[in-house]
Amino acid sequence: MLILSRKLNESIVIDGRIIVKIVRVDGDVVKIGIAAPADVPVHRQEVYEEIQRNNLEALAPGRVVVSALPKLVRRAPAAPRPETAPAIAPETAPETKPSKS
Amino acid sequence: MNVVAEIESASTDQPEGLKVRLPLGLLGFEQTKEYSLIADPAIEPFLWLQAADDPNLAFLVLSPFEVVPDYQPDLSREDLEFLGLEGPDESQVLSIVTMRRSGGATVNLKGPVVLNRRTRSGKQVIPSNAASFSVQHPLPVVA
Repeated sequence: MLILSRKLNESIVIDGRIIVKIVRVDGDVVKIGIAAPADVPVHRQEVYEEIQRNNLEALAPGRVVVSALPKLVRRAPAAPRPETAPAIAPETAPETKPSKS
Repeated sequence: MNVVAEIESASTDQPEGLKVRLPLGLLGFEQTKEYSLIADPAIEPFLWLQAADDPNLAFLVLSPFEVVPDYQPDLSREDLEFLGLEGPDESQVLSIVTMRRSGGATVNLKGPVVLNRRTRSGKQVIPSNAASFSVQHPLPVVA
C-alpha cells in the first residue's frame, strides 16, 4: 500500500480524475472529501462489504427458490392486494410510494 | 400504475421481462450491467431481477414499501444526478430479498436498487441515512 503524508486541506490526485482531500482532522476522526467522476463508486469499506456479502447470499441461481416462494408470499402481510391479482392491474392501482429525495 | 402492474403489463408483450440497465452493476457483481425485471403473478409482490445474459444470476426483489411503508432512503445529490431523477415519481425502489436456510427471508434496506422509471437505468445505492437501515431486515411472515 502506498502511504503518503498530507496536511489539512492538502489533496492527492488519483489517475488524473479523482481528488482526495483531507477536509478536517479531529482527534482520531479524519474527514475526507472525494471528488470523483460519476462512474466511480465511492463507499465506506465496511458498508460496501456488508452489502456485497448480502448480494452474494441473495443470489438465487436459476431462480430455484421459486418452489419455496408461494408459501412465503401468501404469508407475507404485504400491502392489501386482491386475492388473485389481475395480469394487468387497473390504472387505479395505488402508486408505489416514491422515495424521498 | 405500480411497478408490479407496470412490469406485468410489459411482460405480457415481452415474456423476457422489462429490460433495465445498472451501469455500475450490483455490489459484488460490477461486471453485470444488463438485467430483466420479470413479474410472475405466482410470486407477486416479488419480482425477479435477472441478468439478461445469465439466467443463473437472478435476485428476488421486492418494493421495500411493502415491508416498511414509511421507508425513506435519503439519496445523495451525486446518486440523484447519476440516476437522472428529476422528481420522486420517476423513481422505483427495489430491495433484494435473501432466502435464509432457516426458511425465513430478509430484505436489504441498506443498499436498495433505485431505478429511474423513465430511463430504466438504475443503481444500487447506499443512502446517506443507511446507518438506520438493516441489510438483513426480516421479512415479516405470519406464523
